[in-house]
Amino acid sequence: MRMRTRIKELRARYDLTQEDLAIKVGVRRETILFVEKGKYSPSLKLAHAIAKVLQTTIDELFIFDEEDK
Amino acid sequence: MKDKLGIVVGIGIVAAVIVTLYFYIINAGNLELIEIFPIGIVLILVGATAYILWDRIKNMKKGYPAQDERLKITNYKACYYGFIASIWSAVFAPLISGIFFDYELPGNYVTALVVLCGGLAFMLSYLFLAWKGK
Repeated sequence: MRMRTRIKELRARYDLTQEDLAIKVGVRRETILFVEKGKYSPSLKLAHAIAKVLQTTIDELFIFDEEDK
Repeated sequence: MKDKLGIVVGIGIVAAVIVTLYFYIINAGNLELIEIFPIGIVLILVGATAYILWDRIKNMKKGYPAQDERLKITNYKACYYGFIASIWSAVFAPLISGIFFDYELPGNYVTALVVLCGGLAFMLSYLFLAWKGK
């Protein structure tokens, strides 16, 4: 299962940089970068914190694609 | 506070290792190849540790945490790989030495190899996992 996120799109909507978001949720900038790219699956706590800052829900923030068989 | 303490302790350990290595090299006289190899590994470990400490200090200055959940997971994974490398080096070091070089490794050499292999595996996997993001 492949994970995509809408973090970049929502960051742009609220005019937030990766640095701003990282400081708001209390992680390092690289962690936001890897989450955005779908390379790192965040904990429920972090996903909730990001969703809260971006004023959305976890469901809308993270999209899981079924891989082609 | 806990992060700062960790960084101070880390710097202290790196300094202690460098001073120990310095006195060892000064007193050893002519170094043989078998002695240069472990010194090289120790220097790689010291360099990598210094890099990790510098990265943490840099992040703390910018207002980020020194270590977040991703780095904690990276740390646990790297510890696991280091542990596995230690166990297998304890098994294979005497075997390889005996079979290929016909030389029975003394116990203290095996212990040193276990520590160095474990440390090297930990450091390399930590840097690789931190770079890759998983």
